[in-house]
Amino acid sequence: MNRKLKITTLDVVILTLLLALAAYVVYRLTMQLNYKWNWGILPQYFFYIDEETGRWVANILVKGLWTTIRLSFWATLLAIVFGVVTGLMRISKRLFWRLIGASYVELIRNMPPLVLVFIFYFFVSDQIMPLLGVEDFVRSRPDNVKNLLTFLFASPQQFTAFTSGAITVAVFQGAYITEIVRAGIQSIEKGQWEASYALGLTWGQQMRWVILPQAVKRVLPPLTNEFINTIKYSAIVSVISIQELTFQGMQIMASTYVTIEVWITITAIYLLICFSLSMGVRKLEVHLARSEA
Amino acid sequence: MALNKVGDPIIRVDRLYKTFPNGVNALVNFSGHVHRGEVVVIIGPSGAGKSTFLRCLNGLEEIDSGTIVIDGIPLDEKKKNRLEIRKEVGMVFQQFNLFPHMTVLDNVNLAQIRVRHKSREEATQTSMELLNKVDIADKAAAFPDQLSGGQQQRVAIARALAMMPKVMLFDEATSALDPEMIGEVLDVMKNLAREGMTMVCVTHEMGFAREVSDRVIFMEKGTIVEMGTAEHFFENPAEERTRLFLSQIL
Ligand SMILES: Nc1ncnc2c1ncn2[C@@H]1O[C@H](COP(=O)(O)OP(=O)(O)OP(=O)(O)O)[C@@H](O)[C@H]1O
Ligand SMILES: [Mg+2]
Repeated sequence: MNRKLKITTLDVVILTLLLALAAYVVYRLTMQLNYKWNWGILPQYFFYIDEETGRWVANILVKGLWTTIRLSFWATLLAIVFGVVTGLMRISKRLFWRLIGASYVELIRNMPPLVLVFIFYFFVSDQIMPLLGVEDFVRSRPDNVKNLLTFLFASPQQFTAFTSGAITVAVFQGAYITEIVRAGIQSIEKGQWEASYALGLTWGQQMRWVILPQAVKRVLPPLTNEFINTIKYSAIVSVISIQELTFQGMQIMASTYVTIEVWITITAIYLLICFSLSMGVRKLEVHLARSEA
Repeated sequence: MALNKVGDPIIRVDRLYKTFPNGVNALVNFSGHVHRGEVVVIIGPSGAGKSTFLRCLNGLEEIDSGTIVIDGIPLDEKKKNRLEIRKEVGMVFQQFNLFPHMTVLDNVNLAQIRVRHKSREEATQTSMELLNKVDIADKAAAFPDQLSGGQQQRVAIARALAMMPKVMLFDEATSALDPEMIGEVLDVMKNLAREGMTMVCVTHEMGFAREVSDRVIFMEKGTIVEMGTAEHFFENPAEERTRLFLSQIL
C-alpha cells in the first residue's frame, strides 16, 4: 500500500507537454479569438451580500451544487434499491423473475439516457404524479414539514420535476448496479452457500449474513464507479429544468457570456465532488480490507 | 464395541435414486439405516456417489425418488421439515467453507444467534466451550485466512457442533489437508465418536475406520456393494470388488 511517488523523466516530459498544450489553448483564445477573460464576475454567483440584511447569501451556483448533491444522493439510494432487487431477480431460480430482471437491464442499457429522461418527464411526471396528488400533498403540509421537504428534496413547485429526475437517474443507474450486484453474488464460492445452508440459515439469512457482506466488499470499486456516474448523469436532468449545477451554469452563461470561465468552474466542481467521493470509498475499502486481515 | 452403544435408527433412507441432468446415475436404489450413536464410514472409488448420498441427507442435493427420514422427520417438500432437518444435521466439508469475513468466534456464533435465536453472550459461551474442545480457543479472534488448514477444519467442526446437531456428516474432511495436519482433525473426530455422536463419514482414512467405526459401507456406482464391521471389511471382505478396492488403497 505504501507506494512512493516516483517522478520519472517520462512524467516530466508528459507534464511539460500538457502545460504547453494548455498554454497554447489560452493563447489561441486570448490572442487569436480575442477572448476577454472575465473571472471576476463569477464569485458573486457563489455568494453575494444581501443589500437589505447585509449578510452573505448563497447564490445559484451553490444552490445548484446543493441540488446536484441532493439529486445524486436520492438517485444513488434508489438505484441501490433497484439494483439489489433486480440483481436478486437476475439470479433467481424462477425464469419469470430472471426475465423481468434481464428485460429491465437490456431495455435501459440500449436506450439513450436523455430519451429516458423525456419519457419519465412527459409520461410519468405529467400523468402519474398529478394522479397521485404528490404536489398537492406537499403544498398542503404545514410550513415546518414543507421546509424540511424543501431542504431534503425540492421546493413545492420543483417537487415533481425533482422526484421524476431523481427516479429517472435511479432507474438508469439501477440497471448498471443490477449487473454489478449479480456479478458480485455469483462470484461468491458455492461452498459459502452450502455451509450456511447446512447450518440452517434461511435464504434471507444466507444473503444478509454470509453472501452480501462478501459480495459488497468485492464489488465496491465498480460500485463506486457507478456512484460517480450517478453524479455525472444527474446533469442530464437539467433538460427538464431542474435547477442543478449544469442548469445553473447554462443560466449564467446565457446572462453573462463568460462561457469558458463558467464551464471551467462547473467542471472543477464536478471534479471535486466526484474525486472526494472516490477518495472516501477508497478509505472505506482500506478499512474493510484491514478488518479481514 | 458397536452394538452396545447404538440405539434406534435415526437416519432411514429407502430406495434412493438420483440422476444428474447430465445423465450420471449418482444413486441407484440406495437403502439403509444409521442408528443413534453409530459411526458409519462410507468408502468407495471416486464417482461412486458418496458425496451425493451425504448431500441428499440434508437436502443440499435433491433425490429423484425414494424416502429420507431423519429422527422421525421426513425430508419432503415441506420447507419446515427441511429446515428442521438442516438444524439437526451438521455437515463438515472437504474445503472447510468457513466464512472468511467473520472471526472464528463469529463463524461459530452465527447459526446459534440467527437460527437458534440465542443471545450473543449465550452463543459465545457455547462457542468458546466448543473451540476449547477442538483445541483452538486461542484463535477465537482470528480470521479464517490466518489459520492453517487443520485449524480451519477444526473450527468448521466446532461451527457445525454449535447447532447441537443429532447427526454429523463428514465429507472427506481430511482430504484437503497437508499430511501433518490430518491427525489433529482425525483426533477431534475420534473424540466425537467416542462421545456417542451419530456420524456418517466419507473418508479414505482406513485407520480411522478401523478405530472408531461401527460399520463400514463400501459403495460403487451409486449403490451399496458391501456393508459390515471394520473387522469384517479389513480381514475378510466377501465381495470381489471390495477386495479389489481395498487392495488398491491399503
Ligand atoms: N452437480 C453435478 N452435476 C453432474 N454430475 C455430478 C454432479 N455432482 C456429482 N456428479 C457426478 O455424480 C457421480 C457421483 O459423484 P459424487 O461426488 O457423489 O462421487 P464421490 O463418491 O463423492 O466421488 P469422490 O470420491 O471423487 O468425491 C460422479 O460421476 C459425478 O461426476
Ligand atoms: Mg466426494
